[in-house]
Amino acid sequence: MEQGRLLTFPAVPWKIESLETGNNSRLLLDLYDREQTPLKRYVAMLGVDPETARDIVQDSFLKLHEHLLSGGDQSNLRAWLYRVVHNNARNRQTSFGARNTGRIEDLPPAASPVATDQSAEEQLLGQERESRLKQAMEKLSEAQRACLVLRTQGLKYREIAESLSLSVSTVGENVQRGLERLRELL
Amino acid sequence: MKCERLNWDLLVRAVDQELSRSEAEWVPAHIAACTDCRQECEAIETLSGGLRAVVNSADVIGQPSDREQLTALQPIRQAPEKVLRRFGWGMAIAATLAIGIIVAPKQRVKIVDRPATQQVAAAISNAIEVDGETFVALPYSNPDLPASAPRIVQMQVPVSSLANIGISMEPAVNEILNQDRTVLADVLLGADGQPLGVHVVSWE
Repeated sequence: MEQGRLLTFPAVPWKIESLETGNNSRLLLDLYDREQTPLKRYVAMLGVDPETARDIVQDSFLKLHEHLLSGGDQSNLRAWLYRVVHNNARNRQTSFGARNTGRIEDLPPAASPVATDQSAEEQLLGQERESRLKQAMEKLSEAQRACLVLRTQGLKYREIAESLSLSVSTVGENVQRGLERLRELL
Repeated sequence: MKCERLNWDLLVRAVDQELSRSEAEWVPAHIAACTDCRQECEAIETLSGGLRAVVNSADVIGQPSDREQLTALQPIRQAPEKVLRRFGWGMAIAATLAIGIIVAPKQRVKIVDRPATQQVAAAISNAIEVDGETFVALPYSNPDLPASAPRIVQMQVPVSSLANIGISMEPAVNEILNQDRTVLADVLLGADGQPLGVHVVSWE
């Protein structure tokens, strides 16, 4: 039957998936293990309290599950997650106003990895420098701060661009100007 | 910054390893040779380290139950590339055209949900039953081919192609508006890899 052979169901526009399960669930959990903490830190830097940050990040992984389940694009899931988290944090800030937002300055001091080798005086200097840095970060534009924070979590400019819906060159400018401004302020 | 050859932009991108290919040919070599630029890079790295320390000091809350919630979610089915590669665009276009020309749907079936699917399928004379799952036979599937060793693959099926084979998912007006919409369906593939039947699993 030549007809039967010719009339193949249009296969290409469909995303074919096999019945072997588990691989994408592994993908989801691997991403969770690797990215949940950096994502929460990023949300915290947007001025969101830790409990809300936890909600936002958990929610983004549930959305990622739906995205994967419906055969969504898998090419850059890390940037996808940051984009969802960013928008979610922005939406919540708009709806709840300032009462739910913290400030970078209110963050606890970072535990220095070389603390044991430092004298009390050096530690104090380190803390002093850190609090000045926090204050300086508050003075950056939102885009500059977002780009710099994502950069500290190891995202490449291309990923930052995708996360924030900016062009790669704009990300470069924000990183550069942000660092420049911080240096002026310190 | 005393060196005239490199600006701050290039230095930051050099530290971040974001140089273009042509820049990467000479910028790192210059930095290695130029004391001023090297010092600038060190200053950028120190500042970046400070930033990282601030960001990483953010309070983070996590509960084991968060991860457990994700573990308990419905498993996701993986897309193997080799299946996708087997079909060419040419073939798909030919097939789509052929369906449009030859398949004239006689009756439109409204499928509502899994239990209802079975009822509707039972009402269709040529429904295929495999492993307790009912498939609407495709009008052009070859009934003479044995359905032995069939394979069920789950895929996103465009609503428009379902309409082509007589399965109408929504009013005709919406069909025109939402031509790109897809639904999740189990597709029964015969031993020869050709689709025999379709079973819509879910849609919003």
